[in-house]
Amino acid sequence: MPKCTINGQEIEVPAGSTIIEAMHGSGQHIAHYCWHPGLSVAGVCRLCMVEIEGNPRVQIACNTAVTEGMKINNTSAKVKEAAKWGLDFHLINHPLDCPICDQAGECGLQDQYMEFGKYDPEMAERKVKKHKVVDLGPTVVLDSERCILCSRCVRFTTEVSKTNELGIFNRGDRSEIGVVEGKPLDNKYSVNTVDICPVGALTSKDFRFRQRVWYLKDADTVCNGCSTGCNVKTYFNREGLFRVKPVHNKDVNGYWMCDEGRNLYQYANREHRYVKAMHRENGAWTEMTPGAAAKEIAKFVKGAGDKAALVLTGQYTNEEYARVLQLWSTEVKSKKVYHWNSHEKTAADFDGLLIRGDKNPNTKGLQAALQQHQLSGTWAELEAGLQSGQIHTVVVAGPENLQFAADFEAKVALINKAKKVVWMQTAKHAALEKMSTDVWIMPMKSYLEKDGTFVNYSGRAQNFKRVTTIVSEALNLTEAMELFAGNQLTIRPQSDVLVESDRPADRVRLEHRKKNEFVFRRGPL
Amino acid sequence: MSVVQRTGESRNWYLPGIAGGLVITMKHLLKNLLSRKQMITLNYPEEKFEYSPRFKGNHVLTVKRDGSLRCTACMLCATNCPAECITIVASEHEDPSVEKYPIKYEIDILRCVFCGFCEEACPVDAVRMGPEWQTPGLPGADFHYGIDKLAYRPQLKGGIATFVDDEERHKAGI
Repeated sequence: MPKCTINGQEIEVPAGSTIIEAMHGSGQHIAHYCWHPGLSVAGVCRLCMVEIEGNPRVQIACNTAVTEGMKINNTSAKVKEAAKWGLDFHLINHPLDCPICDQAGECGLQDQYMEFGKYDPEMAERKVKKHKVVDLGPTVVLDSERCILCSRCVRFTTEVSKTNELGIFNRGDRSEIGVVEGKPLDNKYSVNTVDICPVGALTSKDFRFRQRVWYLKDADTVCNGCSTGCNVKTYFNREGLFRVKPVHNKDVNGYWMCDEGRNLYQYANREHRYVKAMHRENGAWTEMTPGAAAKEIAKFVKGAGDKAALVLTGQYTNEEYARVLQLWSTEVKSKKVYHWNSHEKTAADFDGLLIRGDKNPNTKGLQAALQQHQLSGTWAELEAGLQSGQIHTVVVAGPENLQFAADFEAKVALINKAKKVVWMQTAKHAALEKMSTDVWIMPMKSYLEKDGTFVNYSGRAQNFKRVTTIVSEALNLTEAMELFAGNQLTIRPQSDVLVESDRPADRVRLEHRKKNEFVFRRGPL
Repeated sequence: MSVVQRTGESRNWYLPGIAGGLVITMKHLLKNLLSRKQMITLNYPEEKFEYSPRFKGNHVLTVKRDGSLRCTACMLCATNCPAECITIVASEHEDPSVEKYPIKYEIDILRCVFCGFCEEACPVDAVRMGPEWQTPGLPGADFHYGIDKLAYRPQLKGGIATFVDDEERHKAGI
């Protein structure tokens, strides 16, 4: 465990770690482009220069190992000068198209230029023109002019996804990132290259030109795409959700996430959601508010006994399962609870990096909750009950992310045999509207709109907070079941909202102030 | 406004005040009758006042040589707008040298405060404040001015050309 001094602060680092790792670990700021904690060291950007005592010249921090008693400084004028000239070389052929570049606002070049920029370019030569809007594959677009050749994306495809699609072609200032003809960048982790690109060279087709990044707020949550439970950051504003990016968690997903998970935000946007409760009676659909519908449903669900069955999917939170199962046994007085496990056969599949075959985020949590309540109803029992007419009413907590529910239509057709069906659903699906029995469709909140806990494949419980509210009319599973059980929804006072302060404006905590929530901070006018 | 309070006997006499007022009226009447050129009253709407070309009136979106919009949909005007009256929806252009362009550019003219910050924020001279200042409309009229109105309204006679030309910049090696 060598000890070193960085900018006057003495720290101890694990043996063999580099200076940039030591600085990253101790929270010190250092300029860098090509170094990424999840990738190998390339040492091509020459921006992470540090001054080491006893060394006449500045050295790169990313490829210099810390030795005992090393004295490192990255705030001296010499280091700043080196970074300034390094940055100027990066900008020789970089186009001035920040206005149309999607990265503007979160760009490494912009950030470093504010700190080290020369503000007075001395290049008299013309910029080398390269290819713009190069289609690399189904998800990523390349702009070679903006690229600073840090090779992060190339190293990602060789080291992490191990698909080797990207490479650097040509030489000198004509070097370009590219793919070989006929072999596009098409793997299940391709959009990670967009995340790690420090400039706007790689852009995601899904997010391209849809929003400027400074219009977006972000919040951390857990992906509900599969049982891995990657930690993610969702970006949203009042128009809805726009993108998802991975958050580092060394025990779950490292620095990465899959492309499937990135597309899951789409079903949560308002245009894909049920907003009103719907009831099908005598062949015609009527719409009503979810609260009114829940009270109607309570008339035939409360105290229904074993005529009523509850079908749960592994896509809701532990807290919801606990309350729902409790109410189901005490208020509905039924023992019939069934687990719709849509990926039972593929549950053990794993692609070696992140993607797992079980596309339900909380199968483990549901199994544990069912075990706790000693409920062991099998799917075959439900089928038999529906055939014989013993099960009269079915209440279904449907899957949220329909993208993966391959057996959705088959299950809808099966449950359609019941006389009365209450289907709680987040995203719209055509199969539900084709049901012929007496159906109630209840709009549900997505996992982004509630607090809760998911238990992933390894039994790791991950807590997440509400991101935003997209459909305020929708109910969560607990609220819906409380109403079905004839209870009133009580509004819990939030004790953490108010704080003591002399100024009235400061008496509400910052995170609870809704005013100007989405307005870019432009300072006093 | 300060009010002069007269004291003494004179405050009971109002006729001198009326006469003084009439003198001023007659002075202006005679002046306007004798030299009509100096008369500042305009017969609106037949006669209209010509503002300076720098006047910040209704917005104009400039166009390129081929008549297409100069705007690159960078949204800096919308970001800078203190009234938040600009709505832009960007899209991918077929031509890779253009790349990004607005499919919708809308200004809520009733919300606009005509501060000119959009004009200042624009990096490519795409939005300007024009000399027009009249914004009439019958009840129910749409005051959300779209691209058709902002760039191609009849008064602009096919559009105002921009100063910033991509091809010239490209040739200059920028």
